[in-house]
Amino acid sequence: MNFSDETLMAYADGELDAATRAAVEAALATDAQLAQRVARHRALRGRLRAALDPVLDEPLPERLLASVRGAPAQRHAANVVALQRAAAPRWSWPQWGAIAASLVGGALLGPLLLRAPAGGAVVTRDGQVLASGALARALTEQLASRQPPGAPVQIGVSFRASNGDYCRTFVLRGESALAGLACRGHEAWRLEVLAHNPAQPAAAAGYRPAGSALPASVARTLDELIAGEPLDAGAEAAARARGWQPAQITPGKTPPGAPAPPGPPRDPDH
Amino acid sequence: MEENGTHERNAGIDVRASPQELREGLVTLLPRLRRFARALTRDAHDADDLVQIAVERALTRAGQLRPDAPLSSWMFGIVRNAWLDELRARGRRARLFAPAESGEQVGDASQGAHADLLAVQDALARLPEEQRAAVALVLIEGLSYKEAAHIMQVPIGTLTSRLARGREALQEMLGETTGALP
Repeated sequence: MNFSDETLMAYADGELDAATRAAVEAALATDAQLAQRVARHRALRGRLRAALDPVLDEPLPERLLASVRGAPAQRHAANVVALQRAAAPRWSWPQWGAIAASLVGGALLGPLLLRAPAGGAVVTRDGQVLASGALARALTEQLASRQPPGAPVQIGVSFRASNGDYCRTFVLRGESALAGLACRGHEAWRLEVLAHNPAQPAAAAGYRPAGSALPASVARTLDELIAGEPLDAGAEAAARARGWQPAQITPGKTPPGAPAPPGPPRDPDH
Repeated sequence: MEENGTHERNAGIDVRASPQELREGLVTLLPRLRRFARALTRDAHDADDLVQIAVERALTRAGQLRPDAPLSSWMFGIVRNAWLDELRARGRRARLFAPAESGEQVGDASQGAHADLLAVQDALARLPEEQRAAVALVLIEGLSYKEAAHIMQVPIGTLTSRLARGREALQEMLGETTGALP
């Protein structure tokens, strides 16, 4: 009798109903090749267990025990960040060391702006730093997917922040050599970060995605703010058509590829 | 089959447990959660980060634990979802930023002695995530197909085909020799 590999696998895993199991066992008694296939399945399980079971005997890290004991509300946010930090060294920034100063937050912007011949690209109002002039126009009108090659402002990535705002990264061409990230408020683009953007190693590594031309501080801000995936060309055009104001989106919407809700819980703050 | 014995299928913890009982249940489960996470991530540090995040999530959401579900299944699901979140974040970073180096997995040098663990983890790491999770839940954690399918939120047929494909790929990568068998 011929059995499919899935049937033999299920037999090895103890998942067959009684009748099929009996049939397999009868065949096993006379068919050495069949027996070998079953043995192969069992051997793999044994190999995996032999490799990973020692983890069971390792002393439990204190931080895990502490997290079981600890106050969940306090630790949750900190630990999500911890995993991101753990992963951070894996994607280093080509220009990381080359950035003399990365300026985060309005308070630090002043000295940079005084030097920056950005042509009035930025104004401060009520303690906020807002885009103006050519920068504001580009943020509002220019699509990342279709921008003139020589434009003074190049838009990088457009995305939704976790607070619902639309945000975009940009690079100012020319002498000013600035890059930053701005999020759309009701009436203006608010700068979240602005940084020196040293000369681009343009031909360094062949194709580089848009975001890779950003200084580290801008990239970090992007990584902190972004919810889900960057906008594709269609979503970007739609957001522009709405004036970059948040659409009424169904609250429970999950990003593409996310597992469907019921069952084990999804994290609502993602 | 003995390895698939019921003692592993269910931590047997009363799900209407008090917070204190939930914490005790979690401590009891920690070794298995770490083993599962290690199979998913390969990197020991990432695995413990993952377990820690899962524990935090579980404690903030104890109310979502269904009365008829074993704590272990619930926790495996949380660990896996946290891992999927992390993979998405990494994928996003990898697309947005130039990757640091092509070999994104850097093995922990202190594990050098456990050559077989490394070989197995290397092989697991090369599987598509969905196959890796199926293999980890059924072959390593000893869960039934039904429990594994529930945790992965897929029909049993999907689970078995992922398991079969993952198994076949592992057998090819690890070779037929099973010298590591006890």
